[in-house]
Amino acid sequence: MNAIEISHLRRVFKSYIGVIKRTAREVVAVNDVSFSIEDGELFGLLGPNGAGKTTTVKMLTTLLIPTAGTATIRGFDVVKRAEEVRKRIGFIFGGERGLYWRLSGIDNLRYFASLYGVDPDVSKKRIPFLLELVGLRDRGDEKVGGYSRGMKQRLHVARTLLHDPEVLFLDEPTIGLDPVGAREFRQVILDLQSQKKTILLTTHYMFEADALCDRIAVINHGHIVALDTPGGLKSRAQDLNVVEVETFGLPANTLNNLRALPFVDALSVEEYEQRQMLMIQTSRGAEAVPDVMAALEGLKVGRVIVREPTLEDAYVRLVEDGDKS
Amino acid sequence: MNFRVLIKYWRTILVVAEMTIRQQLMDGFVIFTILFQPIIIALLGLWMLKGKGADAALFVVVGSGLTGLWSSLLFISGNSINVERWVGTLESLVAIPTPFEVVVFGKNLANVIQSLLSMLLGYLVAVLFFGYSLNIQQPLLFVASIFLTIIGFISFGLVIAPVFVMNPGVQAWQNGLEFPVYVLCGFMFPIALLPGWTTPVSYLLPPYWAAVALHGTSTGGASLNQTLFAWGMILFFSLVDIFVGGRLFKLMLYKARADATLGME
Repeated sequence: MNAIEISHLRRVFKSYIGVIKRTAREVVAVNDVSFSIEDGELFGLLGPNGAGKTTTVKMLTTLLIPTAGTATIRGFDVVKRAEEVRKRIGFIFGGERGLYWRLSGIDNLRYFASLYGVDPDVSKKRIPFLLELVGLRDRGDEKVGGYSRGMKQRLHVARTLLHDPEVLFLDEPTIGLDPVGAREFRQVILDLQSQKKTILLTTHYMFEADALCDRIAVINHGHIVALDTPGGLKSRAQDLNVVEVETFGLPANTLNNLRALPFVDALSVEEYEQRQMLMIQTSRGAEAVPDVMAALEGLKVGRVIVREPTLEDAYVRLVEDGDKS
Repeated sequence: MNFRVLIKYWRTILVVAEMTIRQQLMDGFVIFTILFQPIIIALLGLWMLKGKGADAALFVVVGSGLTGLWSSLLFISGNSINVERWVGTLESLVAIPTPFEVVVFGKNLANVIQSLLSMLLGYLVAVLFFGYSLNIQQPLLFVASIFLTIIGFISFGLVIAPVFVMNPGVQAWQNGLEFPVYVLCGFMFPIALLPGWTTPVSYLLPPYWAAVALHGTSTGGASLNQTLFAWGMILFFSLVDIFVGGRLFKLMLYKARADATLGME
């Protein structure tokens, strides 16, 4: 049996505009999404903001009712058998909220252990173990309000593991963490995977998905646009090379000119204070560099390299192809 | 929700109550509502009835405690679900195996118990500042009335909280509901002083029967039959509230999951 089964899942949000004459507007957040996740699999769900990742996770964690379609966790329907689902899942939504800041870390865990029906004798042993696991053993007596963002995230992990759930939903769990904290967090995820937990991870960090996930689904505009192993997704961009160009003060019209070049398959920009890193996907490889430099004429240009595509490049291509279509 | 659920989750209810009290004792609004406001009311009442005797003072002490209970129910229990939403913990409380109304029951228990402090403080004010020697006339019946009052207020809170969540328009009347209930339920003076047409309204308010039981047993002004009838009404309203509250919670949670209003985005 698969741990998670999703079939033709759809979720529509209604919003209203206007005060006197109210007009309803429908937004389709998730549209005909189907996939399954095997027991013990670490499955990534990637997509740009507003693509439908969190909505999908919230439907799977019983917090939202699907407009259409079905989803089951270990065979239990998320709508009809929500109580059974809730016994078997744990979830983390990225960010600092969701904890009681006026209580200590230990009291937060005691509280949630009781809510999850963990026997007090078991929780007495489990809470120190989990605090040790997430590196908060010496800070458990302090009020959560005084914790750093990373500490709160780690406390969320401990909270999620209190009832030893079989299936975990981690929605952008490393968002806002410093690099060291994020690396420690990834190790925690790997440890959980080694305990045969089924994990659904959403993230914006491609290297994170590449390093952790067994399979990845890319979602855009509510649709699954690709579902494959990280290697399989990368191979979709194998026909391309990536020209990386460092620029200083890149104007918007130059960017548009670059996008319009016939050999540019996809283009993304990373901003670093006063400099930008252009990543141009092209099948021409190094031969494209003179034309790119010509398009950037008059602009201060730094490092230029041509490299093999990464998972991020494959992701950018999938998302941009989806946007174009 | 039914009594089997309450028995099954009694340990969870106590932990929820403990954690709620720990958090609220650091909340200025809660401290004002359950401690300072009732003390101010007790001081004013005792001052106005100075020289009227110990019975009048006892009426004021019990009445000021009831004002603390009602304000706590109205503002703290009434807002308990919305507060969880504002601080981002509501989703964590809904997606758990424990029924959500059990959590709210535990929170209401904490609110009612800590509100009883206001009655104790009113007593201390009467004894220490006004020199009264106050004796509860029917102590056993009074203790039983306190116990039933706790159940009655917790149960009423199970109706108020989901109503406020589902109807923000009703919540806007929260402030306006505080003082009329003080008056209509006879917290500070008997409802016999009010026009006759208000009496049926008083009878429909569960806190009125708690006031009848507590005032009657503390001052000895009620017969056993009157006290038993008041208890019966408290229990009747509690059962109705628990039944209605259970359905309201189901409706509220379904609506929140359908309309995506559990979290604050």
